[in-house]
Amino acid sequence: MGSPPPSSAPRPSPPLSRRSVLRGAAAGGAMGLLAGCGGRSDAAFHPDAGPWRRYAGTTVNFISENTAPTAAIAADLRPFTELTGIRVNIVTLELSALAQKVALDLASGNGEYDVVYADPYQVLAPYAPAFADLREFTEDPGLPRLPGGLDDFIGTHLDAAGRFGGDGKVLALPYDCPTMVWQYRADLFKRYRDRMADDLGFDPMPSDNTTWEQYYAIARWFNDETDEVRYGTGHQAKQHDALMCDFSNLLWSYGGDYFDGGRRVGRIGTLDPGPCRLDSDAAIAGAEFYQRLLKIADPGSRTWDWDGLGAAFRAGRIAMCPNWHEYAASNKAAMPGKVGYARLLKGPVRSAGMYGGTGIAVSKVIPERRRRAAWLFVNWATTPKTQLANLASKVGGGTPTRTSVYAMPRVTAAQHRPSKMANMLSADAVKKTWRSDTIGLRPKIPMWAECDTAVYTQLSGMLAGDASPESAMRAATSRIDRIVARGG
Amino acid sequence: MGELTMGSLTTGPHRAERSSGRRIRLPLPGFAGRMMAPGLLVLAGVSLLPFAAVVVMSFSRVHLLGGLRLEGAGADNWTRLFTDPDMAWAWARTAGYFVLTVGGEMVLGTVLAICLWRLRHGRNTALSLLLLPMFVAPVIVGLLGRFLTDSTFGLYSWVLGQLGYHGDLMGDKTTAFVSVTLMDVWEWTPLVTLIALAGLTSVPSSVLEAASLDGAGLLRTLRHIVLPAIAPVLLVALLIRSMDALRYFDIIWNTTGGGPADATKTASVKLYETAFRFFDFGYAAVTGLLMLAVTTVVARYFVRLLDRKGLAR
Repeated sequence: MGSPPPSSAPRPSPPLSRRSVLRGAAAGGAMGLLAGCGGRSDAAFHPDAGPWRRYAGTTVNFISENTAPTAAIAADLRPFTELTGIRVNIVTLELSALAQKVALDLASGNGEYDVVYADPYQVLAPYAPAFADLREFTEDPGLPRLPGGLDDFIGTHLDAAGRFGGDGKVLALPYDCPTMVWQYRADLFKRYRDRMADDLGFDPMPSDNTTWEQYYAIARWFNDETDEVRYGTGHQAKQHDALMCDFSNLLWSYGGDYFDGGRRVGRIGTLDPGPCRLDSDAAIAGAEFYQRLLKIADPGSRTWDWDGLGAAFRAGRIAMCPNWHEYAASNKAAMPGKVGYARLLKGPVRSAGMYGGTGIAVSKVIPERRRRAAWLFVNWATTPKTQLANLASKVGGGTPTRTSVYAMPRVTAAQHRPSKMANMLSADAVKKTWRSDTIGLRPKIPMWAECDTAVYTQLSGMLAGDASPESAMRAATSRIDRIVARGG
Repeated sequence: MGELTMGSLTTGPHRAERSSGRRIRLPLPGFAGRMMAPGLLVLAGVSLLPFAAVVVMSFSRVHLLGGLRLEGAGADNWTRLFTDPDMAWAWARTAGYFVLTVGGEMVLGTVLAICLWRLRHGRNTALSLLLLPMFVAPVIVGLLGRFLTDSTFGLYSWVLGQLGYHGDLMGDKTTAFVSVTLMDVWEWTPLVTLIALAGLTSVPSSVLEAASLDGAGLLRTLRHIVLPAIAPVLLVALLIRSMDALRYFDIIWNTTGGGPADATKTASVKLYETAFRFFDFGYAAVTGLLMLAVTTVVARYFVRLLDRKGLAR
């Protein structure tokens, strides 16, 4: 018997070296980095599903200011997710931070944000071409119908918050609508009504005919005649956007404006507003009155933005103030039954209350299907049902932007005390303010952020005694003209 | 003898020829250099490239819509820099802020360090307490200051009210500027204290004892022995604080936003405003480069002072 042939043993593989591991890790990292640099993928799509479910499985990113309806929606997104199968990530920021994020997102083209809280002056005007025309979605039979159509939105809101440039496009749906109204201590006015009437020669109770001169007289009366409050009036006169908002109410009431055709510039918006008109006699007169009013106001006014003013009012420092109507809920919590609301005062020409509303828009930077998925959220977030839920929310609030919501019996009832929807206590005041002839609309122009700074800086100098009203207005005019000439 | 001479002559040229033919080698980076190379390249990338980008932007108009685009603007941004009165005033305020904050911190910090140095018991506890403000984030200092000075619920406002001052701290140009200055001094004086104390601990006790034996009093000892001994260390503290003070932003932005009437709007606040509120990146780039130049000049000045003291290396 011969011996079997020797079997060949398998050659042992060399051990894995550290260098190989590092090379592999580097390659993997590079691939991951490259993948990360790319934009987000398009939305999931299910053509056979119902209109609300066709984009189930998609994630929509919504960037918003810390505002009442966003707080309410963020607290309860489940209804939307159950309806659509879409997950929503909400990023809330202070407005200037939001503007930065949006600007950089649009510049990079990454399309990180699908739905944008498009502030008319810091986002919509500068970046209008970057937002989708929502009419594409409202007219698309494959997408859910917008309840009530565009006409259900308050007309001035839709123009101010949703349009830019007069080309008819609807770039955003009105989402919130803070508006400046007269907030006053109703309990004090009631208590001292007769005394004030005797001393002042007119009925001090707020009405549509009350004038700014009467407001001034009432403020002085509270300063001089009672210790119930420290001052009659307070204002948001910090060197801040708030100061421009406060002053603008008077500017418009005296017949002044920022530009020729200011109402159209504010309502529709434009790239080229023309020469600034703050140097007009009417504007100067308004500034003179504003300076005079601030001299008798709470000295803290010059350090308050709207939040500071609201806190001072709730602390009982002042008898009245112009401020955003959405402080009604906070006022009710701090001083139940003691605060009343009225349209802002009349000047020589008209009454005007600053509108601070914003719409929500769909970014055009993102892929098409994601735009449609985003539209589902925009649609849902502004439906009458959602606006009603927001209004009743414990964590949010906000105020409806649809006329149909105000007609609901539950909402109508809430406009009178006792009310479970505190913001509705100011409904009468704001509805009067939203009319075309009384709504106050700052210029909707791409360079407004810089113009705004020029305005409130000059006003702050005026209040500090550095400049007369006339010189402050002329200086502001000159600066704004230079800014506009430079372009947005 | 002749043969020996011939041999020497023959060897010479040959050696010279070999010497001239030698290949010259450049020294290669050593092991340490090669290991540091990746990090240095990354640092260069994150420093030089952004700097180059800022320089380019300073001669451009920057558009964001539809992707980042640079449109050549020539020297327009630079021309605007030198004709903008707001910018000039911002730098004037920056200079005032710099002098008051750094000056205050140096004086107070040195005094506190000397007090701690002479403390016999509880020095560590006292030092720990004194250092606390330094560990608070600047933005928190700003918010804290804002609350404390609030005319409605601020503690400082209430205290001042009890003392008879009923004005609003942040509503007046002077008091607003003083307030933000004091906030900065409060926060960063401990840093100067810490640095100065480190210097004081190195003062030779033998010299102090000799001075004491010779009859030198406290003030003379401080003036002629202690302060000269710690002067180089104080220069280091001065350098550190100077760099920060020129660029300080957090406290001012969170308390006053630059107001009232631009009274607290320093160059750094204006830079932020130009870049991230107005999105005028071209002019912001110019402002940033000017700030870089100013801080570089100041830094070079202090480094030269340190060099004269023999501490630069």
